[in-house]
Amino acid sequence: MIALRRSFPATSREWRNFLLGVAFASPWIIGFLGFTLYPVGSALYYSFTRYDLVRDPVWIGVQNYVAFADDPDFKLVAGNTLWWVLISSPLGVLSAFLMALLLNSRIILRSFFRSIFFFPAIVPVVVTAFVWIFLLNIQYGAINSTLQSMGFKTIPFISSPDLMKWSLVVIHMWSQGAAMVIFLATLQDVPKSLYEAATVDGANALRRMWNITVPMVSPIILFNLVISFISGFQYFTLPWIMTQGGPSRSAEFYAIYLYRNAFQWFRMGKASALAWVLFVLILLFTYLIFRTSGRFVYYAGAAR
Amino acid sequence: MTPKLTRRGFLNLAGATAGLTALAACVPAPSGEAAAAEEGVTVQFWIFWTQPGRIHDQIMADPSLPDFMGDNTLEFRTGVANEARLAAVAGGTPPDIGALGYYLDFMARDVVVEVTDYVAASSVINEEDFLEINWGQTHYQGVQKGVPAIEGFVRRGFFYNARMVADAGLDPDVPPVTWDEAWIWHEALTQFDENNNLLQIGLDPYDAEGGVGPGNDGWGMADSFGFHYFDEDTKEFNLDNEEFAEGLEVWGDYIRLIGPDNLVGMRAVEGQGTWGGSFNAEVQACIIEGYWHCGETFNEVPEVAEQIRASWTPVPERRRGTKLQQGGGHMVQLFKDGNYKDEAWPVAEWLQGSYFCDQIFHNIGWLPSYKPYYDVADQNLFPGLAFVFQSVQEANYWGPQINCEIEDFVRVKYGEFREKVYRDEISGADAVAQMQDLCTKEYKAAGFA
Repeated sequence: MIALRRSFPATSREWRNFLLGVAFASPWIIGFLGFTLYPVGSALYYSFTRYDLVRDPVWIGVQNYVAFADDPDFKLVAGNTLWWVLISSPLGVLSAFLMALLLNSRIILRSFFRSIFFFPAIVPVVVTAFVWIFLLNIQYGAINSTLQSMGFKTIPFISSPDLMKWSLVVIHMWSQGAAMVIFLATLQDVPKSLYEAATVDGANALRRMWNITVPMVSPIILFNLVISFISGFQYFTLPWIMTQGGPSRSAEFYAIYLYRNAFQWFRMGKASALAWVLFVLILLFTYLIFRTSGRFVYYAGAAR
Repeated sequence: MTPKLTRRGFLNLAGATAGLTALAACVPAPSGEAAAAEEGVTVQFWIFWTQPGRIHDQIMADPSLPDFMGDNTLEFRTGVANEARLAAVAGGTPPDIGALGYYLDFMARDVVVEVTDYVAASSVINEEDFLEINWGQTHYQGVQKGVPAIEGFVRRGFFYNARMVADAGLDPDVPPVTWDEAWIWHEALTQFDENNNLLQIGLDPYDAEGGVGPGNDGWGMADSFGFHYFDEDTKEFNLDNEEFAEGLEVWGDYIRLIGPDNLVGMRAVEGQGTWGGSFNAEVQACIIEGYWHCGETFNEVPEVAEQIRASWTPVPERRRGTKLQQGGGHMVQLFKDGNYKDEAWPVAEWLQGSYFCDQIFHNIGWLPSYKPYYDVADQNLFPGLAFVFQSVQEANYWGPQINCEIEDFVRVKYGEFREKVYRDEISGADAVAQMQDLCTKEYKAAGFA
């Protein structure tokens, strides 16, 4: 083994190749250093300061972090965000999976429906927000106008604190085109022989789904769940555009509170601390999911 | 023979080009003032509104502009987004002059220039030419750091749609002057269908100028109910007071009649930037607004503007007889990190000129707080406007302009707590007590205590 170890690069040719590799990778390296590592590092520093974007930061130690314990706003947005992540992420993945199942079956106009179901994934979030406002508004929304014209009471989908988050969940489930495509690709990769063997053994459709389909796509379920959790913690654009976190702060999520602190109240130090808490939370959450994933994810190629 | 570029040659060439580019970037540029002395410069002027963008070319066609700018060129940007403004200021690349909002934030954080010397040397801008309250608003701790411009004048009026009022069996010639009287109008004008779906609002007191505050337009509720929320000398909040609690309860009743959920839906019409849109859509009969309501409505929905009547903003019964008015509005500021402060100052003077003000007044409906202009402006150009001019002379109470460095935080909390009150989650008294506590803590945490 020792014979294989040597300093690298050793020869001038290896040096040249190394430098060439670095040169080709340099756009990414520069981007990573300048637009990821530096902001992340400076945010860590600012999180220990009182910084208002304009004046020099003042070092205040861990005050920003300690203050969260006594901050009712922090508790409110953390609660809202946790609710959102725990409810919307599984339902979103479920929705994508069910859509993929449907579109993987032999239905007429399958390609057309695949395009239609994928469509929300390519619509900009701002457009999505406005479309749903025009659908759900209690006075002017298409749904409520229809209800009203039929003599029914209108429903405050996005004006009631009790319904707002659930309306966002519905929109989230509707916009699962990207996850659906990944599921669809995986479903098409499940060997038909497994289904045939199960059918011969007398397994019904539900049993085939539970014992073959779900295990075979479980790595993709895990992938979509992790991605959904991460974006769920950072959820901002839709609730901000639709109601600015209202009504009654029911849709005031963590990222909205962070934005308010940074760009409305000039509390960039506190906002940086919020960002770091969020970063650590996401790390922990992701770690926990991966740690426990062995119990519910089946890898066909994994060593037994 | 065709010359061949080898891989080594290409890399050498690319490396040399990159190195030379980097070196060129390191050569110090001549300082702004030095460059200005040599030849004309381009002065950057930014505003956050989008409306003047519609008449950008007309504005820039002002024949008097070269008299102000000399050899210099003016680059006028409208509709500069919130994050872009802040990023420019924080990054040290602000415009030379601008109306970017955040006026007090910029003054308190010392990013804008004191203009006392410029004003002293100006033949156009003099204190006596402006409304006193608007002039005062450009000062922070006694130092002037801005000049009223573009949109100023007065901010309070009770505007109503005479046709809708008459249709409801009310007398448009006898508008309400107290909140009790306004309630009678509100009840008569708020209408539901047989399934209890909202059809029309009488008055949403939190809409438009009624709902503002605190900020550069004052605080609608504080002006009407008569409280000062912050003491600039002692740096102490006075939010926990009976008048504020009373205001939250009284206006809360207006919203309860409409239905809080209905209100959110109705306000979503204007929530996307069209302030006061429900009045223009004739689904709200009354609104507390600034003078611009007349001109803006006229330019957007002339048939609705024809129905506009105006009167004094209602007050509680205990303040009957109070004719309140409020100043404020906007200003231009010179930025410390701007390149050409001396060259930018004439822009502040040009903005008071009759050509510029005419364009803004006639096409958008805005007025400056510059007396030489509004003294000669057509007071009957838009329905309802005459009352506003008259109110400047007749007002017997001017709402205070209070400089509180965390006013935006107070404003957001005000929005949150008033909603809690009209949704019956909390009483007015509890709301003001909690706001007092939260704002005091925030003031300290933000480093201003």
